[in-house]
Amino acid sequence: MVSLDQRASQSLRPYLQAVRSSLTAALCLSNFASQTAERHNVPEVEARTSPEVLLTPLTIARNENERVLIEPSINSIRISIKIKQADEIEHILVHKFTRFLTQRAESFFILRRKPIKGYDISFLITNFHTEEMLKHKLVDFIIQFMEEVDKEISEMKLFLNARARFVAESFLIPFD
Amino acid sequence: MLLLDYQNVLIQSVLSERFSGAAPVSIDQTVSDFDGVIFHISTPESKTKIMISIQIRCFQDLLRHGAEEVLNREYGPYVVPPEPGYDFSIVVDVEDLPAEKEARDELVNKIALLKRNVMAAPFEQAYQEHYHLKAEASKFTSEEAPQGVREGGEVKAIHYREEEAIYVKASHDRVTVIFSTIFREETDRVFGKVFIQEFVDARRRAIQNAPQVLFRNDPPLELQGVPGVKNTGTGEIGYVTFVLFPRHLTPQRMPDVISHIQTFRDYFHYHIKASKAYIHSRMRRRTADFLQVLRRARPDQEEKERKTASGRTFKVGS
Amino acid sequence: MSIIREHTQATLSDAWRTIDIDALEEDSPANFDTATLRPAQQQPEVSEADVRQLQAQVRQLLRGGDAEGALRGCLEAPAYGGSELARDAALHTVIEVLQSIKASDMTPMLRRIYGGAGGSECLDVLMKYIYKGMAATSSATGGAPRTPTRMTPQPTGFSQIGPRPGASGESTGAAMSVLLSWHEKVVEVAGLGCIGRVMTDWRKV
Repeated sequence: MVSLDQRASQSLRPYLQAVRSSLTAALCLSNFASQTAERHNVPEVEARTSPEVLLTPLTIARNENERVLIEPSINSIRISIKIKQADEIEHILVHKFTRFLTQRAESFFILRRKPIKGYDISFLITNFHTEEMLKHKLVDFIIQFMEEVDKEISEMKLFLNARARFVAESFLIPFD
Repeated sequence: MLLLDYQNVLIQSVLSERFSGAAPVSIDQTVSDFDGVIFHISTPESKTKIMISIQIRCFQDLLRHGAEEVLNREYGPYVVPPEPGYDFSIVVDVEDLPAEKEARDELVNKIALLKRNVMAAPFEQAYQEHYHLKAEASKFTSEEAPQGVREGGEVKAIHYREEEAIYVKASHDRVTVIFSTIFREETDRVFGKVFIQEFVDARRRAIQNAPQVLFRNDPPLELQGVPGVKNTGTGEIGYVTFVLFPRHLTPQRMPDVISHIQTFRDYFHYHIKASKAYIHSRMRRRTADFLQVLRRARPDQEEKERKTASGRTFKVGS
Repeated sequence: MSIIREHTQATLSDAWRTIDIDALEEDSPANFDTATLRPAQQQPEVSEADVRQLQAQVRQLLRGGDAEGALRGCLEAPAYGGSELARDAALHTVIEVLQSIKASDMTPMLRRIYGGAGGSECLDVLMKYIYKGMAATSSATGGAPRTPTRMTPQPTGFSQIGPRPGASGESTGAAMSVLLSWHEKVVEVAGLGCIGRVMTDWRKV
């Protein structure tokens, strides 16, 4: 059991490290006015009206159930995370948690209200965000988010099982 | 507050107060209980005569399985014709109470257990049937027992909620109690599964003498051909089976076992809801943590003190 | 009168509202010719046969114990602009080489390649293959999240506690961890600019 846990954390570190360096490289944004609509300034990665300002998307995968997609463009990047879901319980917990977060998207500034298809949660960072926030702290946030979400899901699942066990035994003991 | 009480606490407190010798007042109070049961405590004639009525959706089912007998046994001298709109009523005269405090408390408890007692009828009937079948079966070896003895009694269905029911079936060596329960949403379904799994495992792990618990999504074999049982195939309805073995079926343990097993459905759903609430509060806390981390990304806006040439300071309105 | 009627006929359906007029206009940014973003001296198309030949050579080198030569061989002839099949075959060749190299050899080897002629270019190509490798293996099997509607009782409750069961794709997990550690080493040697060039280069492997 110990060795299994160790192996898991060993592969987690390079995964997060790869996400960190990719994000740091991708968070290189500048102001860019829309070329299609005058006096508009939209995130090009969302508008997709000018192919030359969209860059090659990067995928970082730990396994088929955990991956990050970074879609860079000239003035914005979109980061989508697929969170590990080993079974039905984790699936429902991840779903509940990400829904909870996206409903509070306005206070998170960089959180996208809807994840892109195939992922659980998406962030959209524009040049305006990088202008008023510290880039390395934004990267820290994403990394910490990824770490904590996994931990939180595990803990919630353990709690649920522990409570279920306790509840079941308490109900059945009077029969004993 | 882990296990649910069998009695209705509100009725208990109202009656204890009335019976403790307080000045009579007029009462008109509606009390709700689990499974859509409604009680009505009132003083229709005079302040000293307290009427307690119960409305329960499956009363017809219960009458069919000997509820009247049980109620008459428990509340015999107090029974009156039911109040309009209710299924069963009793009247207690405050001026005609037992003299000793213990006896009065017992009466209060008995009335607070009204729902439990009315629901207990089919279970008691199943117990009696089981004793009967057991006696019959002891005359035969298992192979040559007549059809009726081997199969056991008929399935008693109690439709105590709109879409949910309890089924009770007696056999010569066991009494089977099946709860059909509905999961309104995906989360309940998954949480319910986790909880039920622990009920199923508890017997294997810790409590060897507990009733066997089984769970399935389609109606169990016992319910085949019972009207109103349909296989929706969606997994929305679950069937939880409790198998009560002879050690639970002794006459001495009967009242406790019946009281306890009745609370299963409400206990089960109560803890699913409680877990959801806890997980929700956890997510709220975690979200606050995330916001804190994100806020760190904003550089501190230092308020620089500006001075005029003459050395005076002023604040710039933001 | 008749003009008005024709007009209302045409507007009966709202479908015209969703027409992307930018796509129809020649001068619009949406129709920017991305071919102009590629270098002028276009390399010849890589055919599948070329890739197979390269693969054979690379395997030869690997068998001979010259992993560095094999890696360099792959990276000096990137499968730019080839068919889907040819590029996939090239990716497999690279991954094969990467998996056969010991972890302790990675950094020295990368330093030697980086120091050599065209070394920076080589590592950019390697980075492109690493990202492509992660994208390919993860999207091939990982579809939409499954939403089972029926409950199937788990065999035993003992499995519910303890560590969370590992993801189903143990083997893809192992392949990924090789790519992830290469990723880390390449960044160490060639810097973040290497990732930047993967994003901005229109020549894709």
